[in-house]
Parts: sequence; structure tokens; C-alpha cells
Amino acid sequence: MTTSSENQKVGPGAPPHSPQLTPHLRVSGIRKRFGGVEALRGVDFDVRRGEVVALVGDNGAGKSTLMKILAGAHHADEGQFFLDEQSVSISSPHDATDLGIQIVYQDLALCENLDVAANLFLGAEPTRPGWQFLPKFLRPIDEMRMEKKALEAIDQLRVRTLQSVRAKVGGLSGGQRQAIAIARAVGAESTVVLLDEPTAALGVAQTRQVLDVVKRLRDNGHAVVYISHNLRDIFEVSDRITVLRHSANVATYDTQDTNPDAIVVAMTRGLDGDGTHAA
Amino acid sequence: MQPDVQLSFSDRFRQLRETRFGTFAPVLLALAAIWIYFGITEPAFLSPRNFYFLFMQSAVVGTLAVGITIVLLLGDIDLSVAATSGVCAALMAVLIAMAGVPGPLACLIAIALGIFLATLQGLLVAYVGIPSFVVTLAGLLGFQGLMLKILGTQGAINMRDPFVRGITTITLPAALGWGLAAACVLAFALASFRRQTQRRALGLELEANSTLYGQVIFFAVLAFAAVATLNSYRGIPLLVVLLIGLTALLGWVTTSTPFGRSLFAVGGNAESARRVGMNVKHIRVAAFGIVGMMAAIGGIVGASRYASVSFNAFAGGPLLLEAIGAAVIGGTSLFGGRGSVWNAILGALVIGSLGNGLDLSGASAADKLMFSGAILLLAVAIDAISRSGTSQTR
Repeated sequence: MTTSSENQKVGPGAPPHSPQLTPHLRVSGIRKRFGGVEALRGVDFDVRRGEVVALVGDNGAGKSTLMKILAGAHHADEGQFFLDEQSVSISSPHDATDLGIQIVYQDLALCENLDVAANLFLGAEPTRPGWQFLPKFLRPIDEMRMEKKALEAIDQLRVRTLQSVRAKVGGLSGGQRQAIAIARAVGAESTVVLLDEPTAALGVAQTRQVLDVVKRLRDNGHAVVYISHNLRDIFEVSDRITVLRHSANVATYDTQDTNPDAIVVAMTRGLDGDGTHAA
Repeated sequence: MQPDVQLSFSDRFRQLRETRFGTFAPVLLALAAIWIYFGITEPAFLSPRNFYFLFMQSAVVGTLAVGITIVLLLGDIDLSVAATSGVCAALMAVLIAMAGVPGPLACLIAIALGIFLATLQGLLVAYVGIPSFVVTLAGLLGFQGLMLKILGTQGAINMRDPFVRGITTITLPAALGWGLAAACVLAFALASFRRQTQRRALGLELEANSTLYGQVIFFAVLAFAAVATLNSYRGIPLLVVLLIGLTALLGWVTTSTPFGRSLFAVGGNAESARRVGMNVKHIRVAAFGIVGMMAAIGGIVGASRYASVSFNAFAGGPLLLEAIGAAVIGGTSLFGGRGSVWNAILGALVIGSLGNGLDLSGASAADKLMFSGAILLLAVAIDAISRSGTSQTR
């Protein structure tokens, strides 16, 4: 259990569902201010490999802001980031990608005018070898390698309903889009996957499909952060639950030691006797 | 998902347009219809001589339309493109006529100026956040003034430089024309078959063989027919070769490179592009730079063709609207994210053919304007219909 985290493999070869004891990604004292509004007031958070940590809180509690900071889409005003206990900095989406952190936004951020393969590799298109004399953005895209890898990524998540990776995303269903957004995050050789309300717009069957995908990510050794309002989904899929309220931490629970009522109380009223988080 | 649902006509139409060559279909059909109509009513229309002039007439509009397509892909627009053309052409003319600068150097300076002016507008759009419509409208007015200033009081400068004139007067020897066409067809066929073989080796989905051969044969027929027609008059104009080469280069950049992909991504969903780490501002500025380059080249071509640079040829006339119209008729969306530079060339041919045919049939300027308007409206309607289908989530 105390294997060196650098060597732990992500993917089907990794030991199934054996969380590390040390956090893979850890942040502390994150502060973020939008004009006069303090969106995060010194928040701590961590996630290990092979576990799903749910991030819950009422609307405006700061979940999405924290998520965006982890993904590099927002820049934290203050705070420290550690990956495998090594201090790192995340100030742009590129930083996050380089560290293996990928986010799936609630609005999915897919380009509907492009096909599935192009969306999966957006911003990270593989280019053909032998064109090094050109700047990177003008080298020819290796369409076939891209399609091949896209097919693998889609197969790994078992998105059976998708007929072709050359279909335009604009013509796909909500569940398929969600799966493609997740496949994009996983396909980028990520170790941390951030999911923002992945089931919010989905029906029962498609929610099932997405939850299965989330479990598969965990079993493959990914560190998964899961934002949701749906406590039933959270209790099904998560290992720990971190509760935010009024831009600050309330507490983190082991999912098996708590129950939905306790979480709802923590979300809405905070912890009794915890003066620092009083409304 | 819903396999049993009866497909409506617009669904089928949309599916057709999703295919790789489907985007060419509407504009090719329009072109064919126009050519057949005028071919029947005006026997002179389908003569090699007329085709030669048709290509030459459409060249300036085509060059500008190719440039505009690049910014349209982003969902921006450049209203100053004709005025930029005019300024560049005027500067080139002044440099050659007044300062005795050699033709090639003057052309390069003009292109540099075009890139500079457009990049300036791109910076205002990307970094200051002014809508491109407003920035380039200001550019349109300002550059027209600038052009008047450069041209001076006489309002026109004659262009006798052999290098500049040569761009539109030189035609290729017949044999060279055939050779070029054969080389292009061979390269196209080889590339198509090689791609098919590689796709089979990788186990990827394949094009139907009929599609594959159809494409190659269609391309070959088109290329050889064009060469045969033009060779029976004066030969292939150098200008046509240059323009096709330039369009091929930009076509390759827009469809096959990460930069091109980012143009489509920003046009389709700028927020998405930003989140995957694309520098949307740089992309926007670069796109405007390309328009500036094409505008300058269009200006040089225009100066060469008319053998003079006058205010009316660029600024006062309908050049800007024809260029935007050509891009849109070609099937490039005004809403961004969809289009192709090749379609812009075809769109320019549609507008050119319409004007040419109506001229031959002795139509009045009033008729020409109304026809052009109708065609443009039809093109945008087609765009709107195919767009409404793809952006809705079911």
C-alpha cells in the first residue's frame, strides 16, 4: 500500500481500487476573489489516486470556482498546490494539463462544428513526424493516429452507442456528449479527472452509463473529483465527500461512515459549534 | 439513436452537407445551373474566350473572398478588406510610378502593408474587445481616405510595370498546362489511395470505393476540362495557377494544421478553445493578418488587371460586398466555425458568372443587383437552415 506514488500506473494495468494513503493532488489555503466577492476563503482539498472525492455544497459555495482553479481556468489569489507532495503551480490550463489534471465542464465545452476525434484532441492534436522545420501550429495533423487513439479512448469507456468518431458532435445525444467530454479528459494521459455535474442533464439510463464510466476511472487508478447536487449519485460513486459552505471548508467525510442527512445538514447549516463558518 | 424516424428533407440535406465533399454540393449545383442557363440563352457564354475572361474577372473577388473566409471561420468579419486592397494597390502604384521602386519589391511592400493594417485591426478586436464589425467599418472609412491621400489629386495611377502587369497577362504554354493538370490529378489520386491503404492498415472506417474513385474521376474531369477549355483560347493564365496555389496552401493550413483546427474551434465555441489552452487572441490576430495578406494580393491582382489603380475600382465599387457574398455563397457560415477557402473560390465564380452572363444578355445594372441579392439571400438561407439543425440539442 505504501508504494512510491511516482511509479503507480494509470490504466487497466493498475491494481484495482486501491487508494493511496498519501494524497495525489493536494491544495491548501486557496483564496480567490472576484471583485468584491470572496469566492474562496482559504480552502483545503485533497484527492488520492484510485478514489472518487465528491465536492458538495449549496449554490455559490465555491465548488465550481475551486474546480476551475484546479484546472487552471482561474488563477488562485493565494494558496499552495502539491502533486504527490511536490509543490507545483497551476496558473493556466496548460499547467494543469502538463500535471495530468483534466476537467470536464458542466457545459462540456465541446465544439459542435467539429467531429468527435477533433474534439477529443482539441488543442493537443498529434502531428506527423518529419515536419519539424515548421512551427508546431503549422505541422500537419496526423488525422489517422488521432482517429485511432480516439477509437481507443471511446472503447475504453465503452460508449457503445457512438457510431463513428468522424460524426460531428452537434448531432449527438447528451449522454454521448458527456461520454466524449470524459473520454477527452482521460485520453490526455491524465491522472486527475475533475467532473462538474456530469449527470445533471441526463436521463436515468444515461446517468447509469456515466456513473459506470466514473467507477471505471477510479478502478484504473485515476484521482477523480466529482461535483454533483445529486446525493444518491454521490453515495453510489464516491469514497469521500468534501463539503464546502460559504466559500470555506466544512468537513470531509468518509462516504461509508456518513449518510445523506448529515451531508445535507453540513451543506446548509455547517457544523454545530464551528464558529469560523458561522453565517 | 432514432433510426426509425422518417428523415425530413432538411435532415437529409444536412446529412449530405456533413460529408467531406458535401459542402461543395450546393455551390457546385448553383454554378452548374447558372452555366447551363446562360449556356442555353447566350451561346457566347460557354466559349473558351468567355471562360478566360470569367476567370480573370473573378480573380480579385476570389482572392478577397478566400481571405474573408479565414475571419468568417472565427465568426468575425472584415468590412475593410476592399479598402485595404485599395490602399495596398495605391501604395504599390505610387512606389513604382513616383519612386521608381522595382515591381517585385513594391509588391512585397504592399503585402507587408496589408498585413500590418489588418493586424492592427485584429489587435483592436482581440485585445481591446471591439466587435470586428465596428473596427473594420472604421477601417473601411479610414482606409478609403488613406487611399485617396496616397493617390493624390488625380484619383488614379496607371500601372505599366511589366512585372505587375505580367501577373494577369502571362499565360502558360499549352504543354505546361497539361503537365500541371496531370501532376495535380496524379498527386490527388495517389494521396487518396494512400490514405485509403493506411486507413485499412489501421483498421479505421473506410470511404466507399465508389466515393473514392468518384472523387478522383470527378477531379480529373474537372481539371482536364478546364485546361482543354483555356488552352483553346490563350492557355492557362498564370494568375489562375497562382490563385489556386495560394488557395491550396490556405486550404491546407485551415483543414490540416493545429492552427487551422483552432480557427474552427474558436468559431465553433470560443470558450471551449480557451479552456483547452488555445490562445484565442493570438489566433484572432493571426487570422486578420492573413486577411490583410490576401487583401494586398487582391489589390496587386486588381492593379495588374485594370492596368491602373483608381479609387472607384476598389473603394467605391461593389468589390467588398461581392467578396463577402462570394464567401457566403460558397457555404461559409457568417456565424463562424464552418466553411472552406475552396468554396470561396467557387462562390466568386458564381458571382462572376452571374455578372458575366447578365452582361452578355444585356441586362441592366438594376437587374444585376437584384439577381446578386437574391442569390446571396438564398445562400444565407441555406446556411441558416443547416445551422439550426446542428446547434439544437434534442
